Amino acid sequence: MSLLHLDKATIKFGGLIAVNEVSFEIKTGQLFGLIGPNGAGKTTCFNLITGVYKPTSGSIKFEGREISGTPPNKIAHLGIARTFQNIRLFGALSVLENVVVGGFLRHRTGLGSAIAYLPPAIKETEELKQDAMRLLEVVDLAHVANVRSRDLSYGMQRRLEIARAMATQPKLLLLDEPAAGMNPQEKMDLTGTVRRIRDEHDKTVLLIEHDMRFVMELCENIVVLDHGEEIAQGPPSEIRNDPKVIEAYLGEAV
Amino acid sequence: MKFFAVRAGSIALAVAACFALQSFAVGKGDLFFRLVFLAGLYVTLAVSLNLINGITGQFSIGHAAFYMVGAYGAGYMANNYAGSWGLKGPLLMLVLLLIGAVVAAVAGLVVGLPSLRLRGDYLAVVTLGFGEIIRIFVQNSPPLGGAYGLTVDAQFKFKYVWMVWLLAILCIAVCRNLLKSAHGLPFLAVREDEIASSAMGVNVTRVKVTAFVIGSAFAGAAGAMLANFDGFISPTSFPMELSFTILTMVVLGGTGSITGSALAGGVLFYIPEYLRDLKPVSGSSLVAAVIAVIAAVYVVKRIADHYHGDKGKRAALYLGTIIAGVALQMILAAVFKNVPSLANANFEASKLRMVIFSSTLIILMLLRPQGVFAHHEFSWSWVQRLFGKKVPTTAVSV
Repeated sequence: MSLLHLDKATIKFGGLIAVNEVSFEIKTGQLFGLIGPNGAGKTTCFNLITGVYKPTSGSIKFEGREISGTPPNKIAHLGIARTFQNIRLFGALSVLENVVVGGFLRHRTGLGSAIAYLPPAIKETEELKQDAMRLLEVVDLAHVANVRSRDLSYGMQRRLEIARAMATQPKLLLLDEPAAGMNPQEKMDLTGTVRRIRDEHDKTVLLIEHDMRFVMELCENIVVLDHGEEIAQGPPSEIRNDPKVIEAYLGEAV
Repeated sequence: MKFFAVRAGSIALAVAACFALQSFAVGKGDLFFRLVFLAGLYVTLAVSLNLINGITGQFSIGHAAFYMVGAYGAGYMANNYAGSWGLKGPLLMLVLLLIGAVVAAVAGLVVGLPSLRLRGDYLAVVTLGFGEIIRIFVQNSPPLGGAYGLTVDAQFKFKYVWMVWLLAILCIAVCRNLLKSAHGLPFLAVREDEIASSAMGVNVTRVKVTAFVIGSAFAGAAGAMLANFDGFISPTSFPMELSFTILTMVVLGGTGSITGSALAGGVLFYIPEYLRDLKPVSGSSLVAAVIAVIAAVYVVKRIADHYHGDKGKRAALYLGTIIAGVALQMILAAVFKNVPSLANANFEASKLRMVIFSSTLIILMLLRPQGVFAHHEFSWSWVQRLFGKKVPTTAVSV
């Protein structure tokens, strides 16, 4: 069944067409890649899916339901979570607190209960912290749970962003250049983490990435964008040999 | 069961402390009594602004307006309607306090709504403008007394120091509880990054408006207390400077720290009052003091920037600098005694109080731009660590 379906999604900023009639379909459980040269409209695509921008035309359906124009916080509630290309952690908050913010959308107690600090709110806070702690173990950050997230190393910050997005318990996880700035070893670890997220946590993953080797190894299906247009779509083996892709982006076959 | 016992105990303790404060202050004369009362108001104002400004990160500089709205709301209702309610004493004051809070909360909602689209300096301008609009509106509306001010009927004058301090404690408790529970995290998250917050499912709009409503409700309640304590309020009681004073308290205490803003609220209110009683000083000791302060600030700043060793040793260096500064002042004063033009000049130090006060603020900001408490909060484990006990930092701190 298709989880996310973009149908001719288009957005224009004044005269600039950032994303032009892009269509693709992601099935539940897929590892899907979105690639393209700088300025191809990949992150804009993410911003359309997560409600930061409303498409000028076209439709975006999540689980068969139209979601274009829905505000970002509602999208998160529907089950789409994301990370950011330029890391956007809550810098002054601890690692644990960052993840608790992600899990907070499942809260049941009211603000009144929190302000009066009644047992339900205390209990819920404890539960949210425990959930967060378990996620930190998945991304191997449990030992720095009380460190201010601003003070983490770059690679750790990237992993924390993934944990925070996972905390919302999404059905679809969007990763915006998760491997950017990582060394080969870290990239290999990340490949494992993303696979585990898909296999053990039953998530569908859509990721943007520049590192060809990383994408080809990880993704089962790839969409290639160039200048806002979709130029190719298919499994890595086809993409690798597609002349249009080679011309626009790769330069040479990998 | 244990939870309710502890809760009931702490509430009883707070009430008892406030009544003890009242009976202590009553015996110390009218002026002191009023100071204790105002100190409670300022603590409430600073802590409530900290919720908007420090915790949620919405730069508001119109807090005096909410204070004013609460004061006028309560004063007006008291004069025109309270007579027929058949309430008396603390209960009546409580109702008036709630009226002040509700009226100010509505005002907070009105200001909170445009803040959804504005950030940083733009929001600051809007809140500043709002403050001025309110003040000028009151100044020109006869039912509220216009520029002459509003005299609250003598039967509605309540000298309840205890209630003000209970209000302050309640305000601190609300903020602290919010931050201790997971519900406080979205507020901090909005301060840190709005886009990431909304991607995590946080309703940024609702968080901002909630902060404005709670913060201004407490300011309004404080206003109601003021109107019924003094029995007279006028637009000049709520100048624009008042907003800045409250803001200064928040920044100086450490933006985001409840402990910091509560202490700064009390201390910064008290310093100018204390300086009123300064005795005249001779020119020689004044000049000596200025030189000594500048020298000491310079040295402390050097130590802070360049000495990264043991904390205890650094504290000792600071203490040494302060002692050296005092000694320097004495020596210089003795030397300057020989300069007739300085020795014979007398200065009314109490008239310089605002200069001294402002200089203190500048020096503090130079030495500790993040505020006295920075982002730290008072906690028992912190006290224990101060005395050398090894307590793990389990609490999720801000």
